[in-house]
Formats: sequence, structure tokens, C-alpha cells
Amino acid sequence: MKNKIVVSVLAVLFVLGMAPLFAGGQQEGAAEGGQAADQDVVVYNSYWADPEPKRVEAELMEMFREQNPDAKVIHSTVAHEDFKQAIRAYLTSSAPPDVLTWFAGNRARFFIDKGLIMDISDVWEEAGWNENYAKGFRAMSSVDDKQYFLPGSWYWWAIYYDTRVFDEYNIEIPETWDELMAVCEKLKSNGVTPFTVGTKYRWTAAAWFDYLNMRVNGPEFHINLMLGKESYDDPRVLKVFNEYWGPMIDKGYFVESPASYAWAEAIPFMTNGDAAMYLMGDFIRDSYPEEDLQYLDFFRFPIIDPNVPVGEDAPTDGYFIPKKSQNPEMAKKLLKFFGSKEVQEYVAKELGRLVTNNKVDTSVYNENQMKGREIINKADYVAQFYDRDTTPEMADKGMNGFMEFWQNTDQAEEITDKLEKARQQLFEE
Amino acid sequence: MLDAKTRYKLIPYAFLGIPVTIYLIWIIGPMLYSFYLSFTKWDGLTSPEFIGAKNYRMLFQDEVFYISLSNNLEWIILFMTVPIVLGLTLAMVLNKDIPGAKTFKASFFLPMVLSLVVCGLVWSWLYSPHSGLINEVLRRIGLGKLATGWLSNPKVVMESVIAVAIWRQVGYVMVLYLAGLQSVDQNLLDASEVDGANAVQRFFNVIMPQLAPVTVIVIVISIIDSLRAFDLVSVMTRGGPYNQSSVLANFMYIEAFNNYRMGYGAAIAVIIFIISLMFIMFYLTRIAREETNA
Repeated sequence: MKNKIVVSVLAVLFVLGMAPLFAGGQQEGAAEGGQAADQDVVVYNSYWADPEPKRVEAELMEMFREQNPDAKVIHSTVAHEDFKQAIRAYLTSSAPPDVLTWFAGNRARFFIDKGLIMDISDVWEEAGWNENYAKGFRAMSSVDDKQYFLPGSWYWWAIYYDTRVFDEYNIEIPETWDELMAVCEKLKSNGVTPFTVGTKYRWTAAAWFDYLNMRVNGPEFHINLMLGKESYDDPRVLKVFNEYWGPMIDKGYFVESPASYAWAEAIPFMTNGDAAMYLMGDFIRDSYPEEDLQYLDFFRFPIIDPNVPVGEDAPTDGYFIPKKSQNPEMAKKLLKFFGSKEVQEYVAKELGRLVTNNKVDTSVYNENQMKGREIINKADYVAQFYDRDTTPEMADKGMNGFMEFWQNTDQAEEITDKLEKARQQLFEE
Repeated sequence: MLDAKTRYKLIPYAFLGIPVTIYLIWIIGPMLYSFYLSFTKWDGLTSPEFIGAKNYRMLFQDEVFYISLSNNLEWIILFMTVPIVLGLTLAMVLNKDIPGAKTFKASFFLPMVLSLVVCGLVWSWLYSPHSGLINEVLRRIGLGKLATGWLSNPKVVMESVIAVAIWRQVGYVMVLYLAGLQSVDQNLLDASEVDGANAVQRFFNVIMPQLAPVTVIVIVISIIDSLRAFDLVSVMTRGGPYNQSSVLANFMYIEAFNNYRMGYGAAIAVIIFIISLMFIMFYLTRIAREETNA
């Protein structure tokens, strides 16, 4: 009798344990059947996880649904950092999302070169983007003269500063390196740390390398270095470390222990008057405290060598369609929606970002945006930022190198030798 | 058909059938696949490309590998000794019937209930150089000179992370020793007291030997957990600054999933496996010998 009870209990548990397997199978079948019947499901995964962009995207989805009542948009937002890992899973699955956000530059090329992204030259043609988008943006989206990427918005990088501090010490906007160093000295002697920075996630340190390298050695050298065509132990790179970056760190022009702070955690140093400036992208506004925003202004990173072409970082975000998208028609429709004048104007107004469609009336741009736009328009070359211009592996080694240098400014030779070894290994593989 | 006796003997295998099959498919299978991957170059997207032992050659020339190894070793040493000393001390103290003993026992054990991610996050705030509790307290009591970037100063970062692991582990070791102390033979203790042994001698010569089984378990768990350490490093420093707090598991994760070098990551995983296997084999042979002896 007892044995029978034990066996029956085990049998029931076994069956219950197996049930999910079959239930799952049914669900999948239903979904597939559903998809076949309802052609207009489109899946859109985005990394716009910060509160403001997330809100605007939700509104855009509503607009799209109104324009396409028979379409079913499944919109998911994934945290920015996690998205960078998740995208691999998306692209290799047999039923990837139909539209994905992503970065321009090497990051997009990486997937395009592997044949994972759909050719959307037809969309570019139909939507008239070949005329409406600046040459630079078209070039950035193309490989072998076919378009794969839709650039959406971009932002500029600059030195942001607190106007109260500058006013208090009667500081004028520096335009040359010597002027910047003089400003730093003045601030330091008044007990204010010139620059704040949070390097916990390393890319804020890479920003300094980008700008110093482009200003000292020119954007062409910088981009070739990113592409693995120049060496990290080149004396020109050493010059950046030993004559510009190192001295700034040694003279205490940066806050202490920057590696303890995520980039946004370093903002309080500025708002409470301990520091004055931050080399950062315009998205600093999204995280800046409301009451201090009116005192936030920016200027272009000073020119070090007037004979060198001017390069700026203006990372561009955009969209693409995975090759194995289940609903390419609707996906292309969604893409046309994102690239349209109306949507771009909305994004420009709501988020204060610069958009790529040049049919957008520049009157939607506020003063700040016009100023940022001007900086980029004056540039001879627009880079995508260190960890988007070079390969992920090299970016990892490079950024570790920058962090090591920040801690040991006398080790530039050893560090660049290590980076060069890594470059040779990684770009040969 | 089989007779009753054979059927009876086969019952354990019947029960083991399903779990072992699941284990083979989902644990052993992927493990063998990882071994295979460690001989390839794979970016997770295109197909793996066989490159022989190149990953291992690169690994043994990679300074980050040696930094991670030494960090894991440091972790093993600290994570084994400190919790044992502190845990045993606490167990001895709280084994008496003092008021509030239960509350103390519970509160020391509480961190173990928290996930490592939560511990890492909260301690990151405590360690914050500018506004964290630790530095604030140091400054208030006049020891401001000691205040440093606990997670950004390469000289103390590894110890700062291990400290959190230890803080969490002490309560667990204490509970294990408390249980062990219950089975210490009171007669032996009384006899030793009669023989004139003082407290210290009683502790080292009577109590400690009887706690040996607990100590062995604690050592084995500590070593295995030290080799697996990932969560705290990943949450608090991501192996930084510039790999100074890198441990093998974190190093593997970054190479495989951040840098898209799956083959290289697999090689690191294989190394972790081999090191762990050495310790586990040692432990298992000991246990097996004890069981056959008993």
C-alpha cells in the first residue's frame, strides 16, 4: 500500500515536471501560427533605456500604431550596457527582432561584414534619404556603396563647464591649449579642481585620449590607429601621453580617484563647486540636476596645433534590420518612420538631440543644439568615439591601458608597448 | 523477466536514470563542447575555426592571466583563513548561554542571505571615496590620511573586494562551527580539565581535533568558492582598475562575452576547471578513504 502511494506521488511529480515542456511547445506553435496569419507583427528592440529617451520612444510607438492600425509593434527596451551583449544573441537567433538600435562606425561594420544585416539601399532610395541625408551620414551607413544602416540621432562632445565658477573667477573661454592650461592653473590656485571625471567604466578616459590624439596628431592618424593601421608605440602616441595627458594628471587637474565613480557620479563635483569642467557628450544634460542646468554651458575642446585638421567626436546612433527578420516589409516601414522628417523633428524637439535628416527645419533646434551643431559642422572629420571606432577587443585593451596610465603617468612607454603587442595580436587574428 | 532480487538491485539505477541523463546532456555535454571550443577561434557569430593550442599559448603569455591567477590565490588564502579564525572565535563566544546570543547569531548570519550582487552594490557605496561611510568615518576620527579610493586604488582594490566576501562568509562558518561544537564530547573536555589542561590547551588539543570534519568542509568550500568568485568582482570593479582586481572567472567572462573571443574564454574556463578538479579530486579521495575506513 505504502509503495503504491510513493510510486503514485513520484509519477504525478514526473508528469507535472514534464508538462511545461509540452506547454511551451504548444505556445511556440501558436505563436508561429499566429505570425503566419497576422503578417504585421514587428518586433523592435531598443537600448534607449534612460528615462527621457524611453518616454519619447513610447510616444513614437503610439504614433506609429496610429499611422498603421493593422500593425502590431512589440517594443522592448534593454539597458544600454546589457544591449551590447544581447545584440549577439539577437542577431544569431533564427527569429531575430525586426528592427534594432545600434551604433554607427566599426560596431555596425562588424555585423555588416558578417552578413547579418539586411541591405536597405531600396529603403534609402524610396524614402529619398539619398538626398535628405548629409554625405557624411550616407557614407557612414554604407559598405561597398550599399546602405545597411539608418543614422538617427547624434550628439556632440565638448568641454562642459559651470558658468557660475567661470564668472566668479572671471575666466574666459579658452580656445588654445595654453589658454586652457592657464584656466586650469587659475582654478587650481583658487581651490577648484579644473576637471571632474568618472572613469569607472573607462570610456570617459578614452574620450581624453580621442581628443588629445586628434588635436595633437590629427584625425587621420587617429582613425588609422583605430583601424589598426598605425602603431600604439609610435612616438606620436607617446607624445600625447607624456607631453599633454600625463602633465595634466600630475598637476592635479582632475578629481581624485576618478576610477571609483561612474560617469554620472562625477557630476556632483561640478554642481557643488568642487570642480569646474567635464569633457562629456551632450547627454550630460539628461543626468544633470534640474536646478543646475541653467548654469551648464560648453565650449569646443581647445586647439592644440592650429596646423592640424580638426577632428571631433560625434557618436551617431541609428537602426538596422537583421537579415533574418521575420517581417522585412513592416520592418522597412518602421525604418522609414524613424527616418522621416516628422519623427526626426519630434525627437529633436523632445530630446534636444541632433537628428540626421537635413530636411528637418533647423528652427526646432534650440540655442544649445545650434551651438553644438556648429562645432561639428566646423570639424574636418567626425569620429565615432574610441570604443566605436576600433574593435571591441582592442577597445578593451586600450581602455585598460588608459586606466593604467592614469594611475602611473611615468609608465607610458611600458603601457604603449603592451598596447602595441595587443594590437598586433588582435588585428592579425 | 528479471527476478525480484535483480529488479531490487536495479531500482537505484532506474531512479538515477533521468537525473544522470539530464546531467550528461546539460552539464557534461556543454563541458566537452567548451573543451573543443578552447581549441578554436570563435566570435560567437560565424563558425568556430580550429586553431589548435594557440589560445593556450596566448594565455600563458597574457599578463592578465597571471594577475588573475595570483588574485585567485590571494582570495583562496584570505578567504580560507580569516573566516575560519573569526567564525570559530564567534562560535566559541556565542556557544555560551549569554543574553542576546540568538540575536547575535542571527545577525552575523544575515549577510549570507543577501545575494552577492546586493552586497557588492551596497559595499561600493560604503567604499565611495568622496561620500562613502568608511572614508567619512576615517576623516571624522582623524584618520583621514587612510581614506583612499578603496576600489580605484590598485594597491588595495583586491583586498577591498575580498573583505566583502569575508564579511559575508564569517556568519556561515560560525554557524557550521556552532553545529560542530554541539558534537564535541563534553566528557573529554571534563577529563582534560581534571588532568590540568588550561583553556588554551583544552581548545587546541581537545576541541579543535573534534572540529576537524567541519574545518575540512569549510576549507573545501572556501577553495571552490574562491576559484568561482565572479559576482563581487563583476559588480564592484569589473576586474579594474586595469585588471588589478581581475579573477579568472571575471577574466573569462570579459574575454568571451565582451571581447567576443569565445575560444580564448573557453581556454580560460578549461584552466579553471583543471585547477578546481585538482582540489576536488583531493577532497573526494579523502572522503572515499574515510568512508571505506569507517
